[in-house]
Amino acid sequence: MAESIVVETVELHKRYGAVDALCGLSLRVPAGSIFGFLGRNGAGKTTTIKILLGMAHPGGGRATVFGLAADDRAASVEIRRRTAFVSDEKDLYDGMTVAEMIRFTAGFFPRWRGDLEQRYLRSFELPPDRKVKALSRGMRTKLALLLSLSRGAELLVLDEPTAGLDPAMTEEVLQALVGHAAREGMTIFFSSHQIAEVEQIADAVAIIDRGRTIVAGALDELREKFRRVQLVFAGDAPEGAFDSPGVARVRRNGRVLTVLATAGAESILDRGRALQAVSMDVVPVTLKEIFLESVAAED
Amino acid sequence: MLWYKAWLDTRWRFLIGLGLLAISAAGIVFAYPRVVALLPLVPASDTGGELGRRIREAALLSREFRGYIWWQWFHQTAPQEWTIASVLLGTGGLVAQGSSGALFTLSMPVSRTRLLAVRAATGLAELFLVALAAVVLLPLLAPAVGERYAFADAIVHGLCMFAAGAVFFNLAFLLSTSFDDGWRPLLITLAAAVVLATCEQVFRGLEPYSVFTVMSGDLYFRTGHLPWLGIAASAGVSAALFSISTVNLARRDF
Repeated sequence: MAESIVVETVELHKRYGAVDALCGLSLRVPAGSIFGFLGRNGAGKTTTIKILLGMAHPGGGRATVFGLAADDRAASVEIRRRTAFVSDEKDLYDGMTVAEMIRFTAGFFPRWRGDLEQRYLRSFELPPDRKVKALSRGMRTKLALLLSLSRGAELLVLDEPTAGLDPAMTEEVLQALVGHAAREGMTIFFSSHQIAEVEQIADAVAIIDRGRTIVAGALDELREKFRRVQLVFAGDAPEGAFDSPGVARVRRNGRVLTVLATAGAESILDRGRALQAVSMDVVPVTLKEIFLESVAAED
Repeated sequence: MLWYKAWLDTRWRFLIGLGLLAISAAGIVFAYPRVVALLPLVPASDTGGELGRRIREAALLSREFRGYIWWQWFHQTAPQEWTIASVLLGTGGLVAQGSSGALFTLSMPVSRTRLLAVRAATGLAELFLVALAAVVLLPLLAPAVGERYAFADAIVHGLCMFAAGAVFFNLAFLLSTSFDDGWRPLLITLAAAVVLATCEQVFRGLEPYSVFTVMSGDLYFRTGHLPWLGIAASAGVSAALFSISTVNLARRDF
């Protein structure tokens, strides 16, 4: 059975004045996944999210959510009916109280989950009568999450959900997200440049840089494909022997050659044997290393 | 709930406009006895020039309370204050909200046209209420200075004020979909009003077609006929400005 795709972008372009924010970004987010959208500041994460939710217009290419065109006005309303969104600023209405924010939001979503609203109101310890402007950043994030998680949405889009939170609050927010996704079976698409948190909860990722996807896939598959191979030679390590497809980076240091493989380690090991390496070690690579190497390769 | 949000966003400007116009209307009514006392001091002879003509016209009209109210308030004071109130209510909105909830609003399953329509309808309703409240004060307070003022006259003048004020409201509203601060739409619209008023003064032939002539209900005061053409033209310009606002907002990136 074909994998169901909730979010898809194909060759997406966006330009702001003289700046290319997106340069042919392609992306596929499987249904039911927790999808981490990684990139440096200014890589195009927020722009992509805004296009998906109809807040910005694409300059070219295609963006669909639930198979609906994101730049079609009527379809965009339907997309937002089925999607919850938390912006990086957690911008809510400062003049409203927590209870008013809940009442305001609930009015737009016929599938609003009163049970979840009450549950998160209790577990997040949100004071219903307090004005939004009087909430701390952490409480504001929790309120934004409550408003998103209670919508009965099929897709939750989060832009830097833990930005500005302390580690304890970050952990609480991430646990709430994972627990909710497991219980409700929704798709979570979240952008971040906090690699540790993406690694903690995501099951698929896309790394983007300068408006293009440079690495994408299931996290386990990426970890399988990306390997660091350390080869030690009797004399000086050979030059140029490993510059081939499937190799992201080669570092020579005397007799030691370190190769970052992007398509498994087997071909590297075969080549090492042929060059009579005296020892060969294959080391798993963390997502942080994948990110840093991928981004560095673009520079 | 969009209506409630629009009300929360505009309530202070509504109350400022209401307060300004109400105090102004009340002040004009209560000043009448002193104006009547001063009338004999106005020279009967021709002092010449535009200023002299205006003083004589003011003195002539002020012999009756209805004439005094029209000249002092609907013709002189209200156009300035009413324009400011209209512009105040027209500014703000989604673009100026910035990080105070604009993205949250846009994440709701509502079209931008509907968001804009609700905001415009709320502002225009408030504008209508301010006009109505201010003009109704005139017949209500008139007995306090021993005079009478017809409710029908007050309502018709309120309608004229509303129709003309809606033009400035919609111009400020349109500019608010272009600028992401509240000041530029406010200042540009007020500058446009000043330019229009100056043109009216310089080119006297334009006065019958001026938005301020519609605002003061000049035709109704002088002939008893409603300025249907002026009201219709104001409504047409307002509708056109609102249409451009919807196109502007639909094209905008946030």
